[in-house]
Amino acid sequence: MPSEDMGKLTYRMRLAFAVATVICLLVLAISPVKDFRAEWKKYKRSFVRYAQGRPDTKKLLADYSPNIDQVWIPGMNVVDRCTTCHQGMTQPSLADASVPQPFRAHPPIPHNVREWGCTICHRGQGPATEIAEAHETTLAWEQPILPAHFLQASCGSCHHADLNETPQLTRGRELLSRLNCQACHKLNDVERPMLGPELSSVGYKVSREWIYKWLKEPRTVLDKDGNVTVNGYENGDESRMPKFRLKDEEIVALTAFLSAQNAQPIESYKINPAVVAAWNKKPDLLPQGELRFRQMMCTTCHPLAVTRAGETKLIGGNIGPELTKVGSKVNEAWLVSWLRNPQGYLAQNNMPRYGWTDEDLYKVSQYVMNQLTDSDLLTTVPKLEAATGDEIKNGKRLFLEKGCASCHSIAGVTPQKDFGPDLTALGSKNASELEFGKAKITHNLLSYIQAKLQDPVSVNPASRMPQYTWNPADLDAVTTALLSQTGPKPTSALQHLTVPKVAASYRAVGDFAEVYERYKCYACHRFNGYGGTLAPDLSYEGSRAQKKWITEFLRNPQTIRPTLILRMPQFNMTDKEVNIVAEYLALAVQKPDVNPQSVDARQFTPALVSMGKQLYEVKYQCQSCHTIGGTGGYVGPNLNNAGNWLTPAWTEAWLRNPQALQPDTIEPRRNLTEDEIRALTAYLMTLKAAIKPQSSTSAANASLAGQGAGR
Amino acid sequence: MKSRILLAMPLLFVALGLSACKKGAEVVKPVEAFGTYDSEPDWNDSTKLVNLGYQEAQGKRIFYLYCVWCHADATPAGPSNRGNLTPVPPLLNDGEKLNGESDEFMQNIITLGGSALGKSAMMPPYGKTLSAGEIQAVIAFTRAIAQPPYQRPGRPGSQYTAK
Repeated sequence: MPSEDMGKLTYRMRLAFAVATVICLLVLAISPVKDFRAEWKKYKRSFVRYAQGRPDTKKLLADYSPNIDQVWIPGMNVVDRCTTCHQGMTQPSLADASVPQPFRAHPPIPHNVREWGCTICHRGQGPATEIAEAHETTLAWEQPILPAHFLQASCGSCHHADLNETPQLTRGRELLSRLNCQACHKLNDVERPMLGPELSSVGYKVSREWIYKWLKEPRTVLDKDGNVTVNGYENGDESRMPKFRLKDEEIVALTAFLSAQNAQPIESYKINPAVVAAWNKKPDLLPQGELRFRQMMCTTCHPLAVTRAGETKLIGGNIGPELTKVGSKVNEAWLVSWLRNPQGYLAQNNMPRYGWTDEDLYKVSQYVMNQLTDSDLLTTVPKLEAATGDEIKNGKRLFLEKGCASCHSIAGVTPQKDFGPDLTALGSKNASELEFGKAKITHNLLSYIQAKLQDPVSVNPASRMPQYTWNPADLDAVTTALLSQTGPKPTSALQHLTVPKVAASYRAVGDFAEVYERYKCYACHRFNGYGGTLAPDLSYEGSRAQKKWITEFLRNPQTIRPTLILRMPQFNMTDKEVNIVAEYLALAVQKPDVNPQSVDARQFTPALVSMGKQLYEVKYQCQSCHTIGGTGGYVGPNLNNAGNWLTPAWTEAWLRNPQALQPDTIEPRRNLTEDEIRALTAYLMTLKAAIKPQSSTSAANASLAGQGAGR
Repeated sequence: MKSRILLAMPLLFVALGLSACKKGAEVVKPVEAFGTYDSEPDWNDSTKLVNLGYQEAQGKRIFYLYCVWCHADATPAGPSNRGNLTPVPPLLNDGEKLNGESDEFMQNIITLGGSALGKSAMMPPYGKTLSAGEIQAVIAFTRAIAQPPYQRPGRPGSQYTAK
């Protein structure tokens, strides 16, 4: 470059540099300006003004700093800057609903907000400093705030044992277990799958037409709107069998395969012809059968549909399948064989083995086959020709492909392992990891789960997941339980903070074990944390009940609570069995510190008894909850027969502290003195009423009438 | 040629700076419903829902376990025990009776029972069964469902809003 041109170029260069410098400075200035105008700073300044307008300014601004506030918990990957804007989080004086957000105090919860941070429960982005980025899904930040309605999901990420405080989560986990989701999916904290019935011999039980109807529409009881209420609650899942999207020819092939399943012939039993002949002459065979059916309290486990004023309701327990139309389903030989020995057909099931007389067996089976029926049930089923070999082969393939084999076992069919995707980490998935297909829903995890549960093909047309029917509360409960499946914990520091699920176990021993298995006591009763929750916990029954009373109760079970309509079935136990159970309960299941012999009933003087009566009726007014002789409240058990039923030692211990004996009882613990406890026990021990034998017509009619009242 | 590059450099800076200013992408709004922790249908009008926070929801749970038997007309077991009692206990949502009672009075009568405060001995004490926090939760639930609605006594809330 010639030297004379240097000046010219230098000038242009200078100009360029000058412009560039100005632009550079401007660009550099953007950052501080943006920083100054940051949303969080606005809230910082706004909080100062708000605090100055209140009388407790000094206290509110004690920890104030104009910078970003942060809760940092390295062990749990928590970097939460939420308190930068939510500045009143731990100020009790800002708890009122009139305090504007984001300054309101956090409502009281069992955890300290400062110790745990915010995102552990609420999710969202802790480190973000803008409203949208902290709370919502953006491209860079994928974890949105969990809506308050599903917050219990976060409790479940650490608390693997069930909590009283989280009913929605507990219900969700219960549904995941009840609907057998574990059969196809891997899940944490959900009980092992309760498989659907084994179908190896289903050809003996039901007709091919019935299987067709069942595969097409597994719910048999529906009102005109397609709904039923169970015990007063709207319920869409009374059938655990979901609906599969099957084409007609697929159903035909499956019915061909299933109706050919005849692995083990049923044990045939011939009811004494003399009994049959005698009953067939009487006109009231079916009413007598119904009476017996009700007396045996089959409805404690099996619901039946009742239609009143155009409204269809299911009434009864939910342990066994609904039986409203079972007479149109099963064949009679199978029913008789099943009633006599349910474990002969299905090795694993909770139906007790009743002791039947031929007469009862005939009456009840005739009632079931003739009254619990629906002549229209199979009218929509097309005519099915005899199954061809091809159809059966096809059916077997479909049985595996459609996932039937995951819930129902059939001899000689090996189910595919891990049929559905692993869901143990579903709750921490980002939206980008999910397929939304053509579904017009918000692209986040919550909408995805709800859409998938309601209509699996809406998000994935190739989905093999069947169609469930949910009521809104159950849909949200299952969503909560699925959102709580957040996979392995991020660091070892959190591992020791998580609350593990405690596995309960109980083993019956000796002769009792056999009776326990035969009558399936654990289907309703609980022993040391193991068993059902329908009936009283029997872990300490030996300390509570007198042996003589247990013996009489087993022969002739009565309802002790005035409003209860579910009662223990009458098993027709033999004397030997009754003795084995009474002996075992009285001696083997005692609470160590309540020795039934420790209080001697002979020391109860008449003076003590009359003082106890006064305390019962006047000072403590126990009659507000307990009934004696027909008057009193419906809340607690009736005490008509307390003197024969309860041991004095248990009664005293109970009056001292009911929760020490049964933690979940609702009877409040009172401030009773030892003298008062003794006097009340003395009075209660005088209450003796003979148990009426329960085979009269009126009792069964009363229980029938009582069923209208709900559970 | 060189000068063009020199001029372009600051422009590139500006472009980069501006693109950094732009929001990440369009922000997807979360689902509008589900905003409240729990809810309870208004006892007088089942089409209306009362929104409940955490504490009120715990109160609801405890109410339906311990109190519902005598302080409601329908219970999970069907018939209510309310009609068996004299004097008839107030319904929990009875604002006309309960709004006038202070939180302290409610706390005391639940903790110590009716007879300790000169009321019906049929109301048992729950102080040894429920924690103080659980009793406060029940009171919070009472206040939430009260009809007519409950007004907290004292200084009215600030009219100031954050934005």
